[in-house]
Parts: sequence; structure tokens; C-alpha cells
Amino acid sequence: MVLVELQQVRKVFPNGVVALDGISLQVQRGEFLAVIGLSGSGKSTLLRCINRLVEPTDGRVLFEGRDVTHIRGRELRQYRSQIGMVFQQFNVIERRTVLENVLVGTLGRVPVWRSLVGSFPRELVEEALQKLEIVGLAEKAFDRVRALSGGQKQRVALARALMQHPRLLLADEPVASLDPATSHSVMRYLEEVNRQLGVTIVCSLHFLSLVRRYASRVVALRTGRIVFEGSPEEITEEWFRHIYGEEAHEVDIR
Amino acid sequence: MIRRWQSVLLDALLGIYVAVLLYRIAWLRVVLGGEAPPVWSGELVAYGIAGAIMAFLGMRLRCTPGTWLSGAALQGWREVTALHIAFAALVLTIWAGWVITRISPLELFSAQGLQSAGRLFGALLTPEVTILDKALVAMVQTIYIALMATLFGVPPALLLGFLGARNVMRRHPATFAVYAVLRVLINFTRSVEPLIWAVIFSVWVGVGPFAGMLAMTVHTVAALAKLYSEQVESVDPGLVEAVESTGAHPVQVVWFAIVPQVVLPFLAFTIYRWDSNVRMATVIGLVGGGGIGTLLMQYQGLARWHEVGLIVLVIAAVVWLMDYLSARIREALA
Repeated sequence: MVLVELQQVRKVFPNGVVALDGISLQVQRGEFLAVIGLSGSGKSTLLRCINRLVEPTDGRVLFEGRDVTHIRGRELRQYRSQIGMVFQQFNVIERRTVLENVLVGTLGRVPVWRSLVGSFPRELVEEALQKLEIVGLAEKAFDRVRALSGGQKQRVALARALMQHPRLLLADEPVASLDPATSHSVMRYLEEVNRQLGVTIVCSLHFLSLVRRYASRVVALRTGRIVFEGSPEEITEEWFRHIYGEEAHEVDIR
Repeated sequence: MIRRWQSVLLDALLGIYVAVLLYRIAWLRVVLGGEAPPVWSGELVAYGIAGAIMAFLGMRLRCTPGTWLSGAALQGWREVTALHIAFAALVLTIWAGWVITRISPLELFSAQGLQSAGRLFGALLTPEVTILDKALVAMVQTIYIALMATLFGVPPALLLGFLGARNVMRRHPATFAVYAVLRVLINFTRSVEPLIWAVIFSVWVGVGPFAGMLAMTVHTVAALAKLYSEQVESVDPGLVEAVESTGAHPVQVVWFAIVPQVVLPFLAFTIYRWDSNVRMATVIGLVGGGGIGTLLMQYQGLARWHEVGLIVLVIAAVVWLMDYLSARIREALA
């Protein structure tokens, strides 16, 4: 069953850079789709076109069959609230507590005034604590995020995304600023979210070893076009050179 | 690199400028002596001709500073001529500046001048301590004028800081228009010296501390709005994206993504503003804004230099103290 469908999506930024050059792609419900490619190949823009942090210049984006390419205002916010996102730089509020950060995930469904005065409904607070348990940070709930390690920050971001009850989770190079051991730990949490909670995941990654270990399907981008689509095992040496250029050779992360 | 038409315009302006200096300063002021008469029409025509000559030289012979600045490959005598013209204009400017400001080493080091200065410094260095209570009361008034101006200035500056930040306002054409208008307004208000505002407000509400405070409030709003909005513009856009991606309302995005990043810098700016407002309040007092500046003006008018000396000492001490405190507080916040 198709969850997201991109039809001939193009994105040209105001400075003339063509980030996406006619992308057509289907994301199946429940899959763990990895997006690979060099820096600047359009991975981030692709992810952002799906939750409409970026508005495509051309083409269509369908979510559960509904055209969301140009929605705006309340409709856009309502749409975004169903899609979680985690980032390479974690993007958590350093000066606030872990719990407060997780509650940011509820902003889409809490009245504005309640969120501004910080009076979140009790059941949402309890739910937030429960999500923190899922990512193994329950005992850190009242610590400031500033004091956490990179891997812990990413798990806070993941808990924040889970608060949205996401049907889809976008992960933009979620482990690119983490060391190998922590990378695996975070990836395993993503895997668990995918398998246990049934959340579809679209995740951009740098390391093929991580792709082979966690993804169920891969698309590769090069200069804004899809150059490969298939299962992780199908990426051979030849494909690798095609995606990453002739000079590249594979590095392992264990 | 400047364009061709810009280089021609530049040459024309240079020609006019040099002609004005040569005629009004060199000829009328120095050679003939005395004050220059009003400008007459024939003179204007002559300036026009001078500008046209220089523009022509630049366009045809390509040997003027304008063509040189436009990056044209000047060689040999052309480059030498262009450099000489530029150098001559520079020397003429410095010389004219000397004449206009009436710089006179003779007066600076004349016996009589040195004697009066010595008397003045002597008086300043032996301050009249009996008016200390009066000076302190006036100083406290000045500090409070500055405090109130800062307090009244902060709320509108906060609002303008966000409404005048590009990254907050660029989403929608309507909000972007508001941003553009506010930006011009803030910059204009900021460019008007607080001293001028003080004059305006003393006509409006009458001379006194209230006028001084209003003047500083206006300046504080503009100065802080500028600092605040620049801080808002430099926040990490990643957090903004993250909060937006949860489906948050724009107001929530500001509160959860931007505010946590700017609270401390805002506090630091505000404290710095109060500290510089104390210094500014002293100056505004000179034109009747109340407080220690006005007191200083009164004694200065009576030529009572011992009293002036004490007031200057009090100002220096307080300014130093405020400087020190605000620096320490800002350090602690960072």
C-alpha cells in the first residue's frame, strides 16, 4: 500500500540551484526506506518536500492519495503534525528540559495559548514520559537537554517525533554527527519504531553498511535524480561507483 | 568594480568638488580673505563646466580617478595622470579641512591660552565638595531617567525586534511588507541623534527630565529593535525547522524555536543599553533634559569651575561603575 507518492517533483531554489530534477517515487506503508547519495544530491530537499518544509516548484506530492503539494495555513500544519522528523543536528531546545522538548511534538494539537503558558494537559505529559521510556531516557526527563550526549539528544528528538503519533517518520542523516557505536544505538531505536510501532520511515544515510543493516529498500540520488532503486543487497561495487563517483571507495561502519 | 556610467558620474562630481574647493576656499577665503559671498549663478555654471571637463577627460582620454576605479586597464601616462589627480584632490581636501576648522597651533600653545586652561584644570582638580549632595541627587535623577527610558523602550523594541526580523516575516508578502516598512522606520529613527529628539520633545512637553526621558526612550526603542532583530535573524534555522515540522502555529514556532535562543543575548543587550543610556542621559541633560547634565550646564554658565569639577568627577565615577557592572553582568550571562 502506498503511503507517499512523489510525481515528477522538481525543486529549483531562488538562487537557481536545481535540488530535485524530476523525482518520482512511492513510499510503501511500513517500509524502512533509505535515501543515499553525495552531499548536495538532494536528499534533504527530498525529505523536506514530503512534509512540505519545502514547497516543490513542479510536480505533485500525494500523502495517502491526497494532493498536499501546495496546501498552506491550518491545513499544512495539520498535515505536518502527522509526520515526525529527526535531523542530523538533533535540533532540540538546549536550554529546556527533556520533557519540555518532547512536548514540542504536541504543538500541532494543543491550543496555542496553552502551549505558550506551558500548561500542557496532564495526559500529554504522561504520554511524553511514556515515549521517553521507549527511547530509554525516562530518568532524564527533568534534566536540561544541554547536559545530554549527542546520542541522547537524538533520542529526545525521536521521542518528540513519536509524540506526533506519526504515520511517517522522516530522518535526515540522523546519525551523521554521532560516533559508530551511538549510531547503531540510534538506528536500532529507529528500527524498533519501524517494526514495533509500524511507523513508515524514510531515512537519508551516508554509510552503506548502515543501509544494508537497517533498510528494507534504497533509493540513490545523484544531482537531484534517482539513479538507483532497489533492495540494499543489490548495490554492487559498480552501482556504488555510479552513485558516489569514480573516486569513491566504500568505508565500513561497525 | 564600478560600471562605466558610474565612473563618468564619479569624475563629474570630482570635477565639481575640486572646483568648489579651489574657488570658495583657496581663492575667496585664503587669497582674498574674509567670508565667502553667497553663491551666484555664474559660479554654478563654472562648477558645471569643471564637472563636464573632468567627465570628458574620463570618457575620452581615460586618465581620471573614475576610469581608474572602474578597473579599466590604464597604462603609462594615463595611470600616472589619474593617480596625480586623485592625489591632488586628497591634498586639497586635507588642506581645505585645515582652513575650514580654523586649526591654529598658535592658539593651542599661546601663553594666554595655556594660562586659562591651566586655571580651568586647576579648578576642576580641586572640586568643590560642598555641593556633593546636590550633584548626587542630580546623578540619581539621571540614572532613573535612563532606567525609565530603558524600561519603557524594551516592550516596543521586543515587538519590533521580531516584526523587524527577516526570517520571521519573509513567509508571506503581507508580513514581508510590514517588515520592510518597519526596517526603514527603525533605521531612520536610529539615525536621528538622541540630542535632536531631546530638542523635539522639549518643545513638545517642555524642557525637563520628562523630555529627556522621552528622547531616550525613542532612541532606545530604535537601537534595541535593531540589535534584537539582528539576533533573531541569526538564530539556528534547524530548530525553527524542527518545531515547524511538528505542525506548530507560527506563534508557537517563535516561542519554542526562537525565544529560547535569544533570551540571554536580549538580556545582555538590554543591560548594555541601560548603561549607555546613563551616559547619554548626561549629555541630554546639557540641552535641558534634566539630571546631572542640566546641573553641569548651570554651573558652567556661571563659570564656577570648582563645582563643575566635582560634577565631572561624579559623572566619571558613575559611568565607570555602570560600565563595570554591566560588563560583569553580561559576562555572567554569556
